[in-house]
Amino acid sequence: MSSDLKPMLDGIFEVGPPPRLLGAECPICERKFFPKPIVCPHCLEDVKEIKLNTEGTVYSFSILRIPNMLYKYPQPYASGYIDLDGDNIRVYGLFDPEKTEEIAIGQRVTLKVGQIGIGLDGEECLRYYFTPVDGGGK
Amino acid sequence: MRAVDIIGVGMFPFGVHKTTPLVEMGVRAAVEAIKDAGVKPSQINIGFFANMQAGNLTKEFTTGQAVMWGAGVNKVPVFNIENACTSGASATTLAMMSIASGQYDLALVVGAEKLNVPFVPLLNPSMRDINVLEGNVVINGFAQRAVRHMYEYGTTKEQLAMVDVKNRRNALLNPKAKFFNKPVTLEEVLGSTMMSDPLTKLSCCPNSDGAAALVLCAAELSSRYTTRPIHLKASVLVSGVFDEWPDMQTFEEDQRAGRTAYETAGLGPEDVSAAECHDAFTICEVMHTENLGFCPIGEGGPFVESGATSLGGKIPVNVSGGLLGKGHPLGATAAAQIVEGVIQLRGEAGDRQVEGAKVFLTECMGAELRGDAKTCTVNILTV
Repeated sequence: MSSDLKPMLDGIFEVGPPPRLLGAECPICERKFFPKPIVCPHCLEDVKEIKLNTEGTVYSFSILRIPNMLYKYPQPYASGYIDLDGDNIRVYGLFDPEKTEEIAIGQRVTLKVGQIGIGLDGEECLRYYFTPVDGGGK
Repeated sequence: MRAVDIIGVGMFPFGVHKTTPLVEMGVRAAVEAIKDAGVKPSQINIGFFANMQAGNLTKEFTTGQAVMWGAGVNKVPVFNIENACTSGASATTLAMMSIASGQYDLALVVGAEKLNVPFVPLLNPSMRDINVLEGNVVINGFAQRAVRHMYEYGTTKEQLAMVDVKNRRNALLNPKAKFFNKPVTLEEVLGSTMMSDPLTKLSCCPNSDGAAALVLCAAELSSRYTTRPIHLKASVLVSGVFDEWPDMQTFEEDQRAGRTAYETAGLGPEDVSAAECHDAFTICEVMHTENLGFCPIGEGGPFVESGATSLGGKIPVNVSGGLLGKGHPLGATAAAQIVEGVIQLRGEAGDRQVEGAKVFLTECMGAELRGDAKTCTVNILTV
Protein backbone atom coordinates (compact mmCIF):
# COMPACT_ATOMS: atom_id res chain seq x y z
CA MET A 1 0.00 0.00 0.00
CA SER A 2 1.44 3.34 -1.01
CA SER A 3 1.96 5.35 2.16
CA ASP A 4 1.14 8.77 0.73
CA LEU A 5 -2.48 7.90 -0.10
CA LYS A 6 -5.09 9.57 2.13
CA PRO A 7 -8.43 8.21 3.39
CA MET A 8 -11.43 9.30 1.29
CA LEU A 9 -12.61 11.35 4.28
CA ASP A 10 -10.80 12.36 7.46
CA GLY A 11 -11.97 10.89 10.74
CA ILE A 12 -13.67 7.82 9.26
CA PHE A 13 -11.02 5.17 9.87
CA GLU A 14 -7.48 4.56 11.11
CA VAL A 15 -5.25 3.07 8.44
CA GLY A 16 -3.37 0.88 10.94
CA PRO A 17 -2.28 -1.79 10.87
CA PRO A 18 -4.63 -2.91 12.14
CA PRO A 19 -7.26 -0.71 10.43
CA ARG A 20 -10.15 0.46 12.60
CA LEU A 21 -13.41 2.26 11.85
CA LEU A 22 -13.85 5.36 13.98
CA GLY A 23 -17.36 5.53 15.40
CA ALA A 24 -18.77 7.38 18.35
CA GLU A 25 -20.71 6.73 21.54
CA CYS A 26 -23.07 9.08 23.37
CA PRO A 27 -22.11 9.39 27.06
CA ILE A 28 -25.78 9.95 27.98
CA CYS A 29 -27.78 7.32 26.04
CA GLU A 30 -24.79 5.05 25.21
CA ARG A 31 -25.92 4.64 21.60
CA LYS A 32 -23.13 3.94 19.13
CA PHE A 33 -22.80 5.67 15.77
CA PHE A 34 -20.91 5.40 12.50
CA PRO A 35 -19.71 7.73 11.26
CA LYS A 36 -19.33 10.12 14.19
CA PRO A 37 -22.32 12.51 14.27
CA ILE A 38 -21.93 16.24 15.02
CA VAL A 39 -23.75 15.64 18.31
CA CYS A 40 -25.90 12.72 19.51
CA PRO A 41 -29.18 13.29 17.60
CA HIS A 42 -31.11 11.75 20.51
CA CYS A 43 -29.51 13.74 23.37
CA LEU A 44 -27.88 16.66 21.50
CA GLU A 45 -24.74 16.08 23.59
CA ASP A 46 -21.16 15.79 22.38
CA VAL A 47 -20.19 12.19 21.61
CA LYS A 48 -16.87 10.47 22.32
CA GLU A 49 -14.90 8.77 19.56
CA ILE A 50 -14.61 4.98 19.78
CA LYS A 51 -12.97 2.31 17.65
CA LEU A 52 -15.54 -0.11 16.27
CA ASN A 53 -15.21 -3.87 16.11
CA THR A 54 -13.42 -5.08 12.99
CA GLU A 55 -15.42 -8.26 12.32
CA GLY A 56 -19.03 -8.81 11.44
CA THR A 57 -21.64 -10.58 9.34
CA VAL A 58 -23.04 -9.54 5.95
CA TYR A 59 -26.69 -8.43 6.35
CA SER A 60 -27.29 -7.63 2.67
CA PHE A 61 -25.26 -6.68 -0.37
CA SER A 62 -25.39 -5.75 -4.03
CA ILE A 63 -23.02 -6.22 -6.95
CA LEU A 64 -22.98 -3.25 -9.32
CA ARG A 65 -22.03 -4.56 -12.75
CA ILE A 66 -22.25 -1.32 -14.72
CA PRO A 67 -19.50 1.32 -14.47
CA ASN A 68 -19.70 3.75 -11.56
CA MET A 69 -17.56 6.68 -12.70
CA LEU A 70 -18.43 8.72 -9.61
CA TYR A 71 -15.44 7.45 -7.65
CA LYS A 72 -13.95 5.09 -10.27
CA TYR A 73 -14.59 1.91 -8.33
CA PRO A 74 -13.56 -1.42 -9.85
CA GLN A 75 -16.14 -2.96 -12.19
CA PRO A 76 -17.99 -4.92 -10.92
CA TYR A 77 -17.91 -4.18 -7.19
CA ALA A 78 -19.90 -5.32 -4.19
CA SER A 79 -21.10 -3.18 -1.31
CA GLY A 80 -23.68 -3.51 1.43
CA TYR A 81 -24.46 -3.68 5.11
CA ILE A 82 -22.41 -5.43 7.77
CA ASP A 83 -23.59 -6.14 11.33
CA LEU A 84 -20.51 -5.52 13.48
CA ASP A 85 -19.89 -8.00 16.28
CA GLY A 86 -20.75 -6.65 19.72
CA ASP A 87 -21.24 -3.03 18.68
CA ASN A 88 -24.99 -3.31 17.95
CA ILE A 89 -24.49 -1.31 14.79
CA ARG A 90 -25.05 -1.96 11.06
CA VAL A 91 -22.52 -0.18 8.85
CA TYR A 92 -22.27 0.29 5.09
CA GLY A 93 -19.12 -0.65 3.27
CA LEU A 94 -17.43 -1.90 0.13
CA PHE A 95 -16.45 -5.55 -0.14
CA ASP A 96 -13.09 -6.88 -1.30
CA PRO A 97 -12.97 -6.21 -5.08
CA GLU A 98 -11.00 -9.48 -5.50
CA LYS A 99 -13.78 -11.48 -3.81
CA THR A 100 -16.92 -9.93 -5.27
CA GLU A 101 -18.56 -13.23 -6.15
CA GLU A 102 -17.91 -14.72 -2.68
CA ILE A 103 -20.10 -12.24 -0.82
CA ALA A 104 -23.36 -13.67 0.55
CA ILE A 105 -25.81 -12.93 3.34
CA GLY A 106 -24.41 -14.40 6.55
CA GLN A 107 -20.81 -14.34 5.26
CA ARG A 108 -18.32 -13.54 8.06
CA VAL A 109 -16.13 -10.59 7.08
CA THR A 110 -13.27 -8.58 8.49
CA LEU A 111 -12.13 -5.00 7.99
CA LYS A 112 -9.31 -3.98 5.64
CA VAL A 113 -8.07 -0.70 4.18
CA GLY A 114 -6.60 -0.26 0.71
CA GLN A 115 -6.55 1.85 -2.41
CA ILE A 116 -9.96 1.74 -4.08
CA GLY A 117 -11.15 4.40 -6.51
CA ILE A 118 -10.75 8.15 -6.16
CA GLY A 119 -11.72 10.68 -3.51
CA LEU A 120 -13.65 13.95 -3.54
CA ASP A 121 -10.54 15.70 -4.93
CA GLY A 122 -10.31 13.27 -7.87
CA GLU A 123 -7.07 11.68 -6.56
CA GLU A 124 -6.56 8.00 -5.75
CA CYS A 125 -7.35 7.36 -2.09
CA LEU A 126 -7.76 4.78 0.64
CA ARG A 127 -11.13 3.25 1.45
CA TYR A 128 -12.18 0.74 4.08
CA TYR A 129 -13.63 -2.54 2.84
CA PHE A 130 -14.63 -5.90 4.21
CA THR A 131 -13.15 -9.21 3.06
CA PRO A 132 -14.32 -12.76 3.87
CA VAL A 133 -12.62 -14.10 7.05
CA ASP A 134 -10.13 -16.92 6.47
CA GLY A 135 -9.75 -15.59 2.94
CA GLY A 136 -13.21 -16.78 1.86
CA GLY A 137 -13.18 -19.73 -0.49
CA LYS A 138 -16.93 -20.27 -0.91
CA MET B 1 -59.78 22.13 9.44
CA ARG B 2 -61.63 22.31 6.12
CA ALA B 3 -62.10 19.35 3.79
CA VAL B 4 -60.20 19.60 0.49
CA ASP B 5 -61.13 18.43 -3.03
CA ILE B 6 -59.24 18.01 -6.26
CA ILE B 7 -61.22 19.70 -9.04
CA GLY B 8 -58.78 19.75 -11.95
CA VAL B 9 -55.93 17.64 -13.32
CA GLY B 10 -53.50 17.96 -16.20
CA MET B 11 -50.52 16.08 -17.53
CA PHE B 12 -47.83 16.62 -20.13
CA PRO B 13 -47.14 13.11 -21.51
CA PHE B 14 -44.29 11.21 -19.86
CA GLY B 15 -41.68 10.32 -22.48
CA VAL B 16 -38.57 11.71 -24.14
CA HIS B 17 -39.00 15.40 -24.95
CA LYS B 18 -35.50 16.55 -25.83
CA THR B 19 -36.57 19.82 -27.41
CA THR B 20 -39.32 20.81 -24.94
CA PRO B 21 -38.06 23.04 -22.11
CA LEU B 22 -38.87 22.23 -18.48
CA VAL B 23 -41.00 25.36 -18.09
CA GLU B 24 -43.10 24.56 -21.17
CA MET B 25 -43.92 21.06 -19.91
CA GLY B 26 -44.99 22.52 -16.56
CA VAL B 27 -47.06 25.23 -18.21
CA ARG B 28 -48.88 22.79 -20.49
CA ALA B 29 -49.81 20.52 -17.56
CA ALA B 30 -50.91 23.56 -15.49
CA VAL B 31 -53.07 25.00 -18.26
CA GLU B 32 -54.78 21.63 -18.74
CA ALA B 33 -55.50 21.38 -15.00
CA ILE B 34 -56.81 24.96 -14.73
CA LYS B 35 -59.13 24.48 -17.71
CA ASP B 36 -60.24 21.09 -16.38
CA ALA B 37 -61.10 22.75 -13.06
CA GLY B 38 -63.14 25.46 -14.74
CA VAL B 39 -61.36 28.23 -12.84
CA LYS B 40 -59.55 31.34 -14.05
CA PRO B 41 -55.82 31.64 -13.34
CA SER B 42 -56.57 34.83 -11.37
CA GLN B 43 -58.69 32.79 -8.95
CA ILE B 44 -55.73 30.64 -7.88
CA ASN B 45 -54.60 31.85 -4.43
CA ILE B 46 -51.34 29.96 -4.02
CA GLY B 47 -48.98 27.79 -6.06
CA PHE B 48 -46.57 24.93 -5.33
CA PHE B 49 -44.00 23.81 -7.91
CA ALA B 50 -42.23 20.47 -7.52
CA ASN B 51 -38.92 19.66 -9.20
CA MET B 52 -35.79 17.80 -8.16
CA GLN B 53 -32.95 18.15 -10.65
CA ALA B 54 -33.29 21.43 -12.59
CA GLY B 55 -30.45 22.97 -10.59
CA ASN B 56 -28.18 20.06 -11.59
CA LEU B 57 -29.24 19.23 -15.13
CA THR B 58 -30.64 22.32 -16.83
CA LYS B 59 -29.12 24.92 -14.47
CA GLU B 60 -32.41 26.56 -13.55
CA PHE B 61 -33.70 27.61 -10.15
CA THR B 62 -36.87 29.16 -8.67
CA THR B 63 -38.61 27.73 -11.71
CA GLY B 64 -42.08 27.63 -10.17
CA GLN B 65 -42.82 31.31 -10.70
CA ALA B 66 -41.99 31.01 -14.42
CA VAL B 67 -44.26 27.97 -14.75
CA MET B 68 -47.12 29.57 -12.82
CA TRP B 69 -46.95 32.80 -14.82
CA GLY B 70 -46.80 30.81 -18.04
CA ALA B 71 -50.21 29.49 -16.99
CA GLY B 72 -51.46 32.95 -16.02
CA VAL B 73 -50.86 32.75 -12.26
CA ASN B 74 -48.95 35.71 -10.79
CA LYS B 75 -48.76 37.87 -7.65
CA VAL B 76 -49.79 35.05 -5.29
CA PRO B 77 -47.37 33.08 -3.08
CA VAL B 78 -45.42 30.45 -5.03
CA PHE B 79 -43.22 27.85 -3.34
CA ASN B 80 -40.55 25.74 -5.06
CA ILE B 81 -40.46 22.25 -3.52
CA GLU B 82 -37.67 19.64 -3.70
CA ASN B 83 -38.28 16.36 -1.84
CA ALA B 84 -36.74 13.86 -4.28
CA CYS B 85 -39.27 11.49 -5.90
CA THR B 86 -42.05 12.62 -3.56
CA SER B 87 -41.71 16.30 -4.51
CA GLY B 88 -45.06 16.32 -6.34
CA ALA B 89 -46.90 14.68 -3.43
CA SER B 90 -45.06 16.85 -0.89
CA ALA B 91 -46.26 19.91 -2.82
CA THR B 92 -49.78 18.45 -2.72
CA THR B 93 -49.58 18.03 1.06
CA LEU B 94 -48.60 21.68 1.42
CA ALA B 95 -51.42 22.75 -0.92
CA MET B 96 -53.89 20.72 1.12
CA MET B 97 -52.63 22.27 4.38
CA SER B 98 -52.89 25.78 2.95
CA ILE B 99 -56.56 25.22 2.09
CA ALA B 100 -57.49 23.11 5.12
CA SER B 101 -56.17 25.88 7.37
CA GLY B 102 -58.74 28.26 5.91
CA GLN B 103 -56.10 30.65 4.62
CA TYR B 104 -56.48 29.89 0.90
CA ASP B 105 -59.33 28.52 -1.24
CA LEU B 106 -57.75 27.43 -4.53
CA ALA B 107 -54.23 26.01 -4.91
CA LEU B 108 -52.29 24.95 -7.99
CA VAL B 109 -49.73 22.14 -7.77
CA VAL B 110 -47.36 21.54 -10.68
CA GLY B 111 -44.62 18.92 -10.82
CA ALA B 112 -42.21 18.91 -13.78
CA GLU B 113 -38.87 17.35 -14.62
CA LYS B 114 -36.51 17.24 -17.58
CA LEU B 115 -34.05 14.34 -17.44
CA ASN B 116 -33.23 13.76 -21.11
CA VAL B 117 -30.22 16.05 -21.28
CA PRO B 118 -26.86 15.06 -22.80
CA PHE B 119 -25.35 13.67 -19.57
CA VAL B 120 -27.21 12.29 -16.56
CA PRO B 121 -24.92 10.93 -13.83
CA LEU B 122 -25.88 8.03 -11.55
CA LEU B 123 -28.07 9.64 -8.93
CA ASN B 124 -26.82 9.98 -5.39
CA PRO B 125 -28.12 12.20 -2.61
CA SER B 126 -24.76 13.63 -1.53
CA MET B 127 -21.15 13.17 -2.67
CA ARG B 128 -20.04 13.41 0.99
CA ASP B 129 -22.49 10.78 2.27
CA ILE B 130 -20.40 7.99 3.78
CA ASN B 131 -22.54 5.28 2.15
CA VAL B 132 -22.11 6.95 -1.26
CA LEU B 133 -18.35 7.22 -0.69
CA GLU B 134 -18.39 3.48 0.06
CA GLY B 135 -20.17 2.48 -3.13
CA ASN B 136 -23.88 3.05 -2.56
CA VAL B 137 -25.83 4.44 -5.51
CA VAL B 138 -29.62 4.43 -5.76
CA ILE B 139 -29.90 1.12 -7.62
CA ASN B 140 -27.64 -0.61 -5.08
CA GLY B 141 -29.92 0.34 -2.21
CA PHE B 142 -32.83 -1.37 -3.93
CA ALA B 143 -30.76 -4.35 -5.08
CA GLN B 144 -29.77 -4.87 -1.43
CA ARG B 145 -33.47 -4.85 -0.52
CA ALA B 146 -34.20 -7.36 -3.29
CA VAL B 147 -31.34 -9.64 -2.17
CA ARG B 148 -32.59 -9.50 1.43
CA HIS B 149 -36.24 -9.99 0.43
CA MET B 150 -35.38 -13.05 -1.69
CA TYR B 151 -33.28 -14.49 1.17
CA GLU B 152 -35.88 -13.90 3.86
CA TYR B 153 -39.15 -14.65 2.03
CA GLY B 154 -38.18 -16.74 -0.99
CA THR B 155 -39.26 -14.08 -3.48
CA THR B 156 -38.11 -15.08 -6.96
CA LYS B 157 -36.52 -13.01 -9.71
CA GLU B 158 -39.38 -14.12 -11.97
CA GLN B 159 -41.91 -12.61 -9.54
CA LEU B 160 -39.93 -9.36 -9.53
CA ALA B 161 -39.90 -9.32 -13.35
CA MET B 162 -43.69 -9.84 -13.44
CA VAL B 163 -44.08 -6.36 -11.96
CA ASP B 164 -42.43 -4.85 -15.03
CA VAL B 165 -44.39 -6.99 -17.49
CA LYS B 166 -47.66 -5.89 -15.82
CA ASN B 167 -46.80 -2.20 -15.64
CA ARG B 168 -45.53 -2.08 -19.22
CA ARG B 169 -48.82 -3.69 -20.30
CA ASN B 170 -50.77 -1.05 -18.34
CA ALA B 171 -48.75 1.79 -19.88
CA LEU B 172 -49.91 0.73 -23.34
CA LEU B 173 -53.46 1.64 -22.25
CA ASN B 174 -52.43 5.13 -21.06
CA PRO B 175 -52.29 7.79 -23.81
CA LYS B 176 -50.06 9.95 -21.53
CA ALA B 177 -47.42 7.17 -21.25
CA LYS B 178 -45.17 7.73 -24.24
CA PHE B 179 -41.80 6.25 -23.29
CA PHE B 180 -41.94 2.65 -24.55
CA ASN B 181 -45.14 2.24 -26.59
CA LYS B 182 -44.64 -1.52 -26.60
CA PRO B 183 -45.05 -4.43 -24.18
CA VAL B 184 -42.23 -6.52 -22.68
CA THR B 185 -41.94 -10.24 -21.92
CA LEU B 186 -40.69 -11.94 -18.78
CA GLU B 187 -37.75 -13.31 -20.75
CA GLU B 188 -36.81 -9.85 -21.99
CA VAL B 189 -36.85 -8.42 -18.46
CA LEU B 190 -34.77 -11.27 -17.05
CA GLY B 191 -32.40 -11.31 -20.03
CA SER B 192 -31.65 -7.59 -20.22
CA THR B 193 -28.31 -6.20 -19.03
CA MET B 194 -27.57 -7.01 -15.38
CA MET B 195 -27.21 -3.69 -13.52
CA SER B 196 -27.06 -4.58 -9.81
CA ASP B 197 -28.01 -8.20 -9.03
CA PRO B 198 -30.85 -9.19 -9.28
CA LEU B 199 -32.01 -5.97 -10.97
CA THR B 200 -31.63 -5.96 -14.76
CA LYS B 201 -31.91 -2.89 -16.94
CA LEU B 202 -35.64 -3.53 -17.53
CA SER B 203 -36.18 -3.92 -13.77
CA CYS B 204 -35.43 -0.19 -13.46
CA CYS B 205 -37.64 2.71 -14.49
CA PRO B 206 -36.30 4.81 -17.36
CA ASN B 207 -35.61 8.56 -17.33
CA SER B 208 -38.68 10.31 -18.72
CA ASP B 209 -39.46 13.97 -19.10
CA GLY B 210 -42.92 15.20 -18.21
CA ALA B 211 -45.21 17.21 -15.98
CA ALA B 212 -48.40 16.82 -13.97
CA ALA B 213 -50.69 19.37 -12.34
CA LEU B 214 -53.57 19.50 -9.87
CA VAL B 215 -56.05 22.18 -8.81
CA LEU B 216 -57.10 21.80 -5.17
CA CYS B 217 -60.17 23.58 -3.77
CA ALA B 218 -61.87 23.97 -0.40
CA ALA B 219 -64.57 21.29 -0.49
CA GLU B 220 -67.22 23.77 0.63
CA LEU B 221 -66.54 25.77 -2.58
CA SER B 222 -66.04 22.96 -5.13
CA SER B 223 -69.64 23.01 -6.34
CA ARG B 224 -69.02 26.47 -7.79
CA TYR B 225 -66.63 24.93 -10.30
CA THR B 226 -67.46 21.26 -10.78
CA THR B 227 -70.14 18.62 -10.30
CA ARG B 228 -67.60 15.85 -9.81
CA PRO B 229 -65.03 16.80 -7.19
CA ILE B 230 -62.67 14.09 -5.97
CA HIS B 231 -62.09 14.22 -2.21
CA LEU B 232 -58.51 14.34 -0.93
CA LYS B 233 -59.13 12.45 2.31
CA ALA B 234 -55.53 12.22 3.47
CA SER B 235 -52.23 13.66 2.29
CA VAL B 236 -49.40 12.41 4.45
CA LEU B 237 -45.65 13.04 4.32
CA VAL B 238 -43.17 11.34 6.66
CA SER B 239 -39.39 11.16 6.95
CA GLY B 240 -37.24 8.16 7.79
CA VAL B 241 -35.95 7.06 11.21
CA PHE B 242 -32.22 7.15 10.24
CA ASP B 243 -31.01 5.16 13.25
CA GLU B 244 -28.11 2.69 13.42
CA TRP B 245 -30.10 -0.35 12.38
CA PRO B 246 -31.57 0.08 8.87
CA ASP B 247 -34.01 -2.66 7.81
CA MET B 248 -33.72 -3.70 4.14
CA GLN B 249 -36.66 -6.13 4.04
CA THR B 250 -39.54 -3.82 5.02
CA PHE B 251 -40.49 -0.20 4.32
CA GLU B 252 -41.17 1.15 7.81
CA GLU B 253 -41.90 4.56 6.25
CA ASP B 254 -44.73 3.03 4.15
CA GLN B 255 -46.22 1.42 7.23
CA ARG B 256 -46.11 4.64 9.24
CA ALA B 257 -47.35 6.95 6.46
CA GLY B 258 -50.00 4.40 5.48
CA ARG B 259 -51.26 4.03 9.06
CA THR B 260 -51.62 7.81 9.43
CA ALA B 261 -53.34 8.14 6.06
CA TYR B 262 -55.77 5.27 6.72
CA GLU B 263 -56.65 6.70 10.16
CA THR B 264 -57.12 10.21 8.77
CA ALA B 265 -59.36 8.92 5.97
CA GLY B 266 -61.27 6.53 8.25
CA LEU B 267 -60.45 3.73 5.81
CA GLY B 268 -58.24 0.66 5.68
CA PRO B 269 -56.27 -1.21 3.04
CA GLU B 270 -59.30 -3.46 2.44
CA ASP B 271 -61.24 -0.39 1.21
CA VAL B 272 -58.70 0.58 -1.48
CA SER B 273 -59.98 -0.02 -5.05
CA ALA B 274 -56.64 0.62 -6.79
CA ALA B 275 -53.25 2.16 -6.06
CA GLU B 276 -50.21 3.76 -7.59
CA CYS B 277 -46.86 3.22 -5.85
CA HIS B 278 -43.20 4.10 -6.33
CA ASP B 279 -42.11 1.23 -8.58
CA ALA B 280 -38.76 2.79 -9.47
CA PHE B 281 -37.41 -0.77 -9.38
CA THR B 282 -39.46 -3.98 -9.54
CA ILE B 283 -38.66 -4.91 -5.93
CA CYS B 284 -40.18 -1.62 -4.77
CA GLU B 285 -43.71 -2.48 -5.88
CA VAL B 286 -43.50 -5.93 -4.30
CA MET B 287 -42.52 -4.35 -0.98
CA HIS B 288 -45.03 -1.49 -1.21
CA THR B 289 -47.96 -3.89 -1.69
CA GLU B 290 -46.88 -5.59 1.55
CA ASN B 291 -46.12 -2.53 3.63
CA LEU B 292 -49.29 -0.67 2.63
CA GLY B 293 -51.29 -3.66 3.86
CA PHE B 294 -52.57 -5.03 0.54
CA CYS B 295 -51.02 -8.43 1.35
CA PRO B 296 -49.07 -9.84 4.31
CA ILE B 297 -45.38 -8.95 4.75
CA GLY B 298 -43.26 -11.31 2.67
CA GLU B 299 -46.05 -12.28 0.28
CA GLY B 300 -45.66 -9.51 -2.29
CA GLY B 301 -44.01 -11.90 -4.75
CA PRO B 302 -46.84 -14.47 -4.81
CA PHE B 303 -49.32 -11.54 -4.72
CA VAL B 304 -48.14 -10.12 -8.07
CA GLU B 305 -47.81 -13.63 -9.50
CA SER B 306 -51.45 -14.37 -8.58
CA GLY B 307 -52.66 -11.48 -10.74
CA ALA B 308 -54.12 -9.67 -7.71
CA THR B 309 -52.37 -6.44 -8.72
CA SER B 310 -53.22 -6.68 -12.44
CA LEU B 311 -56.12 -4.84 -14.06
CA GLY B 312 -59.21 -6.86 -13.16
CA GLY B 313 -57.47 -8.27 -10.05
CA LYS B 314 -58.26 -7.76 -6.36
CA ILE B 315 -56.37 -4.47 -6.15
CA PRO B 316 -54.84 -3.21 -9.40
CA VAL B 317 -51.51 -1.47 -8.78
CA ASN B 318 -49.90 1.06 -11.11
CA VAL B 319 -52.66 0.94 -13.69
CA SER B 320 -51.18 4.11 -15.24
CA GLY B 321 -48.09 2.10 -16.11
CA GLY B 322 -46.28 3.23 -12.98
CA LEU B 323 -42.72 4.46 -13.09
CA LEU B 324 -41.61 1.28 -14.88
CA GLY B 325 -44.09 1.82 -17.69
CA LYS B 326 -44.19 5.61 -17.96
CA GLY B 327 -40.69 6.49 -16.82
CA HIS B 328 -39.84 8.62 -13.82
CA PRO B 329 -39.65 12.41 -14.28
CA LEU B 330 -38.75 12.81 -10.62
CA GLY B 331 -40.57 16.00 -9.60
CA ALA B 332 -43.62 15.15 -11.71
CA THR B 333 -43.99 11.50 -10.70
CA ALA B 334 -45.89 11.75 -7.42
CA ALA B 335 -48.24 14.45 -8.78
CA ALA B 336 -48.97 12.21 -11.79
CA GLN B 337 -49.89 9.36 -9.42
CA ILE B 338 -52.58 11.61 -7.92
CA VAL B 339 -53.70 12.68 -11.43
CA GLU B 340 -54.22 8.97 -12.21
CA GLY B 341 -56.28 8.59 -9.04
CA VAL B 342 -58.57 11.45 -10.05
CA ILE B 343 -59.01 10.08 -13.58
CA GLN B 344 -59.81 6.60 -12.22
CA LEU B 345 -62.29 7.86 -9.63
CA ARG B 346 -64.04 9.98 -12.26
CA GLY B 347 -64.37 6.84 -14.39
CA GLU B 348 -62.47 8.46 -17.27
CA ALA B 349 -59.58 6.01 -17.58
CA GLY B 350 -60.82 4.31 -20.73
CA ASP B 351 -59.28 0.89 -21.39
CA ARG B 352 -57.37 0.93 -18.10
CA GLN B 353 -60.42 1.87 -15.99
CA VAL B 354 -60.70 0.01 -12.68
CA GLU B 355 -64.41 -0.85 -12.60
CA GLY B 356 -66.31 0.76 -9.76
CA ALA B 357 -63.24 2.47 -8.26
CA LYS B 358 -64.25 4.35 -5.09
CA VAL B 359 -61.03 4.71 -3.10
CA PHE B 360 -57.60 5.32 -4.63
CA LEU B 361 -54.27 5.32 -2.79
CA THR B 362 -50.98 6.78 -4.02
CA GLU B 363 -47.62 6.10 -2.40
CA CYS B 364 -44.25 7.55 -3.21
CA MET B 365 -40.80 7.34 -1.65
CA GLY B 366 -37.66 9.34 -2.27
CA ALA B 367 -33.91 9.43 -1.60
CA GLU B 368 -32.03 7.50 1.05
CA LEU B 369 -30.21 8.39 4.24
CA ARG B 370 -28.52 5.75 6.40
CA GLY B 371 -30.55 3.01 4.69
CA ASP B 372 -33.95 4.62 5.26
CA ALA B 373 -36.13 6.60 2.85
CA LYS B 374 -35.65 10.30 3.41
CA THR B 375 -39.21 11.01 2.35
CA CYS B 376 -42.39 8.94 1.94
CA THR B 377 -45.90 10.07 0.99
CA VAL B 378 -49.33 8.44 1.03
CA ASN B 379 -52.43 10.15 -0.39
CA ILE B 380 -55.95 8.73 -0.25
CA LEU B 381 -58.63 9.94 -2.68
CA THR B 382 -62.33 9.07 -2.68
CA VAL B 383 -65.32 9.72 -4.94
